[in-house]
Amino acid sequence: MNATDIQIAICGSAGDGTIAAGDILRNAVAAAGYRVICFDVYPPEIRGFGKCISRLRITTEQSYSLKRQSDVLVSLDDSHAIPHAGEVRDNGAVIFESQSIAQCGEGEHMSGHVLPGQIPYGFPMRELAQKATGGARSRNLVVLGYIAGLLGLAPTSFQRIIEKKFAKQGPAVVSRNQAGFQAGFDAGAGTFKLDDVAFGPFEKPASAGKVIMLSGNAAVVQGCLDAELDTFFGYPITPATTIMERLASELPKRGRRLLQTECEISAIAATIGAGFAGSRTATATSGPGLALMAEMLGLATMTETPCVVFVSQRGGPSTGMPTKTEQSDLNAALYGSPGDAQRIVIAPTNVEGCYRCAGKAFEMAERYQTPVIVLLDLYLSNRYETVTLSESGSPFVLDANKPLRRLEPGEAYQRYALTPDGISPRAVPGDANCMHVVTGLEHNELGRPNDSAEMHTAMSRKRHDKLLGALEHPDFTVTKRFGDTGKVKVGILAWGSTFGECLEAMFMAQAEGIRCAAMKVVMLSPFPEKAISAFMDDCDAVLVPEVNYEGQFAQLVQGVLARPVVRLSRVPSSPMPVELILGEIRRLSGVNA
Amino acid sequence: MSIPAMPVFVDVKLREVQESGRLEYRSRSLPTWCPGCGYFSIVEGVTHACNEMGISRDQSVVVSGIGCASRFPFFVNLYGFHTLHGRVLPVATGIKTANDRLTVIGIGGDGDGFAIGGGHISHAAKRNVDITYLLFDNGIYGLTKGQTSPLSAVGLRTTTTPFENPERPLNPLMMLLSYGASWVGQAYAGHPDHLREMITQAVAHRGFSYLHILSPCVTFDKTSKTYVNLGLQVRNLPENHDPSNLMAAMHQAQDMDHPALGLYYQQFRPTLGDTFEQVSAKAGGHGT
Repeated sequence: MNATDIQIAICGSAGDGTIAAGDILRNAVAAAGYRVICFDVYPPEIRGFGKCISRLRITTEQSYSLKRQSDVLVSLDDSHAIPHAGEVRDNGAVIFESQSIAQCGEGEHMSGHVLPGQIPYGFPMRELAQKATGGARSRNLVVLGYIAGLLGLAPTSFQRIIEKKFAKQGPAVVSRNQAGFQAGFDAGAGTFKLDDVAFGPFEKPASAGKVIMLSGNAAVVQGCLDAELDTFFGYPITPATTIMERLASELPKRGRRLLQTECEISAIAATIGAGFAGSRTATATSGPGLALMAEMLGLATMTETPCVVFVSQRGGPSTGMPTKTEQSDLNAALYGSPGDAQRIVIAPTNVEGCYRCAGKAFEMAERYQTPVIVLLDLYLSNRYETVTLSESGSPFVLDANKPLRRLEPGEAYQRYALTPDGISPRAVPGDANCMHVVTGLEHNELGRPNDSAEMHTAMSRKRHDKLLGALEHPDFTVTKRFGDTGKVKVGILAWGSTFGECLEAMFMAQAEGIRCAAMKVVMLSPFPEKAISAFMDDCDAVLVPEVNYEGQFAQLVQGVLARPVVRLSRVPSSPMPVELILGEIRRLSGVNA
Repeated sequence: MSIPAMPVFVDVKLREVQESGRLEYRSRSLPTWCPGCGYFSIVEGVTHACNEMGISRDQSVVVSGIGCASRFPFFVNLYGFHTLHGRVLPVATGIKTANDRLTVIGIGGDGDGFAIGGGHISHAAKRNVDITYLLFDNGIYGLTKGQTSPLSAVGLRTTTTPFENPERPLNPLMMLLSYGASWVGQAYAGHPDHLREMITQAVAHRGFSYLHILSPCVTFDKTSKTYVNLGLQVRNLPENHDPSNLMAAMHQAQDMDHPALGLYYQQFRPTLGDTFEQVSAKAGGHGT
């Protein structure tokens, strides 16, 4: 059984159409039924000569991360692609321009950097583009055609996607790009193939729902829409902006509302206002915006107002690295607020998880009357995966509010009534005769300011205890264990996007005969103490890989459980390399490779 | 201040208030303000306005920030949100966006509105959010015991300006007029009859209405915005003032030494709610 597992990297300069080519390629192979995971790397500038790389891994079954080595590297700009020549495996393909337009200095041409074992394919992309389309702009499409021709992919799905993608720019642009693609395809199909990159025999797997390709942020939006989001307030910030942009076109079609506010403080304030008024509401931001929202999140905790905040992390501190991924806002998400910042924090580990967490966040916000932070990162927001969505309606509960009891005559409504589960039935403006005031001041059951020791203790306990229910929230994966069962040499404990790399490393270690397991932790607050503790009981050593310098999750685990873990904290400005995790697993298991 | 022609008897006045139905809008909490504070007459004005307009208590929300003024929601029997310092308008915008049917009244002091919250006013005015913003201007930070505010007069001695305030105050009416607020007025807590009439008009306006209320702080300001000083300084807008004339309104707003009371400017244009409906229609969606 030859399962397909091909990784293609397209590398160029900003303006070369690198990301656009990657976009067409992933859509075409996904339409053909393959599973895809892709991640683009690009500079913060719109123009200029920054490096863009679009990497996609095409598989029969859904994979969890990109591979360390690509099977195919395409160079649209040799100066950027040359440093990446080494990432192509033996017998893999390196595709580049064979006829440079300018004088090429020594060492500046890709052909001089193809390593022994790699198969070079130089072809005149510019010339082909010019012949077919009368200009060099369709070079990226020519290359795309070449890949399809070389690897034997059917051109029809590509042509359809090119038509769709460029339809807005008019039929001339569509036909120009299609002609470019066809020219490349013919060249690729006519090339004598020496590499061993091949698509395996394909059988369409019987899936439970419809399979579509989404980025993490698009999956968040889909989750919001399926959970019937009413209102959204936001302020643009990389890498969260695309959530607001997509919602801006989707919400009005449904008669729902989106407002671009003047700042992040205003965004969260309006979100809390809307939540108070009974609306399903959310905002989205990144680390710097989360910092501005900190005070307001405390107000939501204190007033027990449901609201959802999507936070897509990027490199920090401060403005940091806006277009580079990092997992360093965990502490800010968990604790960033004055006082005891009781709240729910969940972090999906893949694109399908983005969809689930987004929808479930609204259920939790309503059920536990609390702010819910959904912690994403640039790697998760911007990567594309094929995901399976349910075809039988929304998988989410559309009203998770605790039912409001009818008041006895003369009875005053108690917004913060102390109940066994800590959750008080919530009235919203418009509900008859339940007038009350919510306040950021500590208050009594009626909501009136009260700063007695007894009341502050009782209310602090209420705000803490009510969240514990979330650890058993119905139909939600709080933690999940993978790999070997029972006692293992090495256990990997991971959160967020890095979990994909951990899983990949675990599979590789298992193949080497190392007994190991991995646990993904989706809910970070309240902390799933029991499940993590039980997992650690089974592990000789616990490894915590995460993309931040201080080891924020490792500190959380060690702090709560008072048990040691082995940290693997790195800030590579990119996802955690799989071989780094694998190396640690080998080291901890006593295997020297 | 006009002197009543007939003496006012307490029992008559009390019966009048009880029979008016206005007390329905008062909560059981007694205001925590200092005796003599101008804010009492604002509570009276708001309950009068609600009663006059027949506003349903469970269909209205009072949103406030932080400061003496912002304790307001506890003293009325309406839905209330006592938010954070300076964030009255964004929270009120969120509430109104979520539910158009609600009457939303924002309340804050001069520090809350023009210091920490100053960035939000222009955007609420520009969007023409259909809310009323009552700004209680006593020219000082009262709840933190007397520090200078962006509306404090030059020369005011406070705990943070022991050598007298060197900065000139902002001109809030000029700001609101240039921001595009669709209803801008000014009232004085020492003229309660006029004040409640202005509050009623402000709440009735469809769009963003801003009412600037001059109100003495009897505890921390003994020299500047006192009843005596303000009583001598305030004047009415000229009888021929045309509230649709923005330039005339700005001309009147320039005179900060003799603040004019009344409706400066009123304009009718689509509210934020209307624009949401327009966007939805363009997107081919169905309205809410």
